[in-house]
Amino acid sequence: MKVEEIKVCILRIEGTNCEQEAYDAFKVLGADPEKVHLKQLIGRAPRELRRDLDEYQVLMLPGGFSAGDYVRAGAIFAARMKSHLAADLENFIASGRPVLGICNGFQILVELGVLPSFDEIMSEAPQAALYTNVSGRFECRPSYLKHENHGKCVFTSLLPRGEIVTIPVAHAEGNLRFPSESEREFLMRLEENDQVVFRYVDPNGDYAGYPWCPSGAIGNIAGICNPEGNVLGMMPHPERAMFRYQHPDWTRTGGKPDAPGDGHIIFRSVLDHVSKRF
Amino acid sequence: MASRELTRKRAVPFPLYEVDLFSASPDELREMSKTMGLNLSLEELDAVKAYFKARGRLPTDVELQSIAQAWSEHCCYKSSKCFLREHIFGIKHPDVLAKGDAGVMAFDDEHAYALRVESHNHPSAIEPYGGAATGIGGIVRDVLAMGAQPIALVDPLFFGPLDLMSVPQGVKLPKYLAQGVVAGIRDYGNRIGIPTVAGGMFFDPSYTGNCLVNVGCIGFLRKDKLLNNAVRGVGDVLILVGGRTGRDGIHGVTFASAELSSRSEDESRGAVQLGDPITKEPTIHACLEVNERGLVSGIKDLGGGGLSCVVGEIALAGGCGAVVQLDKVPLKEAGLAPWEIWVSESQERMMLASPKENVESILEVFDLWDVPATVIGEVVKEQKVRLIFQGEEVFDLDLDFLTKGPEYCRPTASSNGSALRPFKEPQLPESWNSVILSTLADPNIACKDWAIMQYDHEVRASTVIKPLQGKPGLHGPADATVLKPRTDSFRGLAIAIGVNPWFTSQDPYNGGRSAVDESCRNIIAVGGRPHALTDCLNFGNPEKPERLFEFKEAVRGIGEMARDLDLAVPSGNVSFYNETAQGPALPTPTVLGVGIVEDIRKCVTTDFKVERNPVYVIGETREEMGASALYRRYGGSGGSVPAVDASALRSRMDLLLKAMSKGLIRSCHDCSDGGLAITLAEMCLGGDLGFEGDLGALGDLPTAVKLFSETNSRFVVEVELSKAGEFEALAEEQAFRIGSVGRSRMTIMDKGAAVDLKIQAMRRAWSEPLWRSLG
Repeated sequence: MKVEEIKVCILRIEGTNCEQEAYDAFKVLGADPEKVHLKQLIGRAPRELRRDLDEYQVLMLPGGFSAGDYVRAGAIFAARMKSHLAADLENFIASGRPVLGICNGFQILVELGVLPSFDEIMSEAPQAALYTNVSGRFECRPSYLKHENHGKCVFTSLLPRGEIVTIPVAHAEGNLRFPSESEREFLMRLEENDQVVFRYVDPNGDYAGYPWCPSGAIGNIAGICNPEGNVLGMMPHPERAMFRYQHPDWTRTGGKPDAPGDGHIIFRSVLDHVSKRF
Repeated sequence: MASRELTRKRAVPFPLYEVDLFSASPDELREMSKTMGLNLSLEELDAVKAYFKARGRLPTDVELQSIAQAWSEHCCYKSSKCFLREHIFGIKHPDVLAKGDAGVMAFDDEHAYALRVESHNHPSAIEPYGGAATGIGGIVRDVLAMGAQPIALVDPLFFGPLDLMSVPQGVKLPKYLAQGVVAGIRDYGNRIGIPTVAGGMFFDPSYTGNCLVNVGCIGFLRKDKLLNNAVRGVGDVLILVGGRTGRDGIHGVTFASAELSSRSEDESRGAVQLGDPITKEPTIHACLEVNERGLVSGIKDLGGGGLSCVVGEIALAGGCGAVVQLDKVPLKEAGLAPWEIWVSESQERMMLASPKENVESILEVFDLWDVPATVIGEVVKEQKVRLIFQGEEVFDLDLDFLTKGPEYCRPTASSNGSALRPFKEPQLPESWNSVILSTLADPNIACKDWAIMQYDHEVRASTVIKPLQGKPGLHGPADATVLKPRTDSFRGLAIAIGVNPWFTSQDPYNGGRSAVDESCRNIIAVGGRPHALTDCLNFGNPEKPERLFEFKEAVRGIGEMARDLDLAVPSGNVSFYNETAQGPALPTPTVLGVGIVEDIRKCVTTDFKVERNPVYVIGETREEMGASALYRRYGGSGGSVPAVDASALRSRMDLLLKAMSKGLIRSCHDCSDGGLAITLAEMCLGGDLGFEGDLGALGDLPTAVKLFSETNSRFVVEVELSKAGEFEALAEEQAFRIGSVGRSRMTIMDKGAAVDLKIQAMRRAWSEPLWRSLG
């Protein structure tokens, strides 16, 4: 299908707050995004506003503080999705259509059990947690990410492995953790399944822990995909780095300020994938 | 409630009292004003008495409470208006589109931006987390009420010294306040998804008992969607949307209009509201959507005074009155008395006025977001407000009387600052190196990244010049922050704060002028042209003539600068009574400046870019050491506070903007606190590149003056080496070449003296202090 035919569902509830820039990211690449409230997908809106998840080719869960993140980050949004949209979401993922969760979106995908989802599309209970940052604080800062995926992830298909991109983070809970008894096993499975997509590195490209890994996540992991590669969750915000002029140091690095930024390739990759596959 | 003798309960099944003003003695009136929390003076009560005498009936408690809110300093500016009228209100600017809850300025042919800053000082001194959070909530509503999408928050904060270990009774430790306030801004601002992009943290012993929390917001809108905080006319209904109403935030404005005391904690805790960003966030979406669809006549925010202020004001602004069914207001808990509902300042509430036929569509929009929206009244022709509670009329006041509060031109008296501050040289150590390192570590100058990185300063993805500049991990400071509010245009908004309480204390007039100069410098330094100002004027008790003198002089300075520079002042805020038994806070006129950046791709930042590029000081350096960081740190006193020559600032602005548009300038930083020495040091940090130079070009001044004078309207620029000739031809005598970008040290020669510091040492000195104090 053509890129302009690709419908992107930007899903939100109260407290989701990065939907506009997520919308803009898809829009600038020519796709057809729409901001959709969860109630519109589950029949709790006036008839003309109701939508069906099946109408879309890409599902995106943007960043924010859905429902305030007062229980655990993403927990309330995930619970609402799971109780009303579980089957639709499983079908969506099973059909190979891409799902992207950024920041709070990643937290929601983990709470839903669709990441890391080793054995099934959606596990009954979460298999991982995005725990409070090691600093104990909200961290808004630039980060360097090394692309680690061998080619499975549909969101980084155009990004060479080993490439380093600069994408900012802004979160208090991005510290990826597994149950301690299965930590080694889960890490190994992530590697074996080619599910690790991004790791935080320092300016030399080395794994360096905090503060270069702003959350202190296990293995410096910034983003993972499901075993099929069509669901990606990542803490950093590629939608905030669509152009060079959004980069933290663009006034010193030279080049055209309005050239594509480092986050661009994630959105381009997935649209490229969808346009070829569907 | 008023003392027993004066009040009579009406025979209705809810608390409603009539208050016998007529037979009360002056002492009884004073007592009643206090027990009811009215904070009205005897003269003001006499005016109230006369009004009701003429109508032949006693006021209800609802009416008295409402008058007290409307006539508070906070709501009616009764002590400041006469000075603002003289110096600010008359400033005309063709780009001003509205002066309502926020000021609105033209951005381009089709778009506009809104701006306002206000204080939330007293609540934050009592409850820092909630006080600061609800401060953000309030300023966001002001901008939203104009029909604008909030796009940025700006928060200048003022505290006592962070290392203070003991404080007077009833006062909280500065460290606790600073941590609480920053956390409140963080948790509210981050949750509603509006980036906190600028501000500042200032420290002085005078803020110990009375911290200042100023909150600013910038909004963006299409011109055709501008709203004017008014009903359209009869046929409109009033829809209350957002949060429910409770007992939190009762008497917030009367509390803000008196000095804090050691009893404030116990007496006024209930005056601090409770914020709920997750009600606010969807309320923003829903308000913008009903405006976008053209369903509303006007919107107004419920802030100080709650319903009691908003209903009268939104109705009167449309030349009308209103009848409100007070029992329709959704409550947090049952059992609130009518007066409590009427004056409660519960958060996250907005008032919408709309034609009756649009009500259904509006309620549908709010319902999708699960935000309560309730029709509570209707607009009537007669300019009165009437309240009905369970069928009983509890309130009937003429708007002309209610909203036309008293106005005072209180006496002012110079505190004779120069006599109080005899000249005294600072006691400086032998080495300039140690002075520079120590000044970099001054909490007023040191890096504020402890706070900046807790605020999401990039949400909405339009922050193109960020509050920290340089290589990731090595950042230095930024001057102004720049936003790119449209996806389809490179036009930007530069946002910056200017304030110098120490200058203002010593010389209020030049302090006011310097605040404007500083905010303009910051805007110019990134490549913006200053366009509009809004101010938050934090001063002491206006009933004391020497405090009011400081206010009057600062306002005069700000007004003159705005006129001379063709800057609009479409909004502003006054906060008086910033004092305690221990004394007043420093007079603090905070100026929030907004500039237009023609093309954000030409923006310039503070960090040195390329070794060997020549470095210039723009503007003359003068011996103006009064109240400078150097004097404050090393026991200097007296001396003259920097003056401002607006025409010089203007010509330097023209020069710099021209040079930037031609791509001649690689980095630029204004000279501010700590003077040239600190400016150069800060420029070394972000790019990890040094400086080598000689200050001979600055003439025959003492080295201390060259390094540390805080003369206004100065900039340091790094010019592209190959374009130095072109730049010098353009700059003529305005630029003084002082050296070039170096490698890993900052080396400055002057006569026999020398500075020689490693960047690493400067970075450590500048970066660590706040982390050490605040953790």
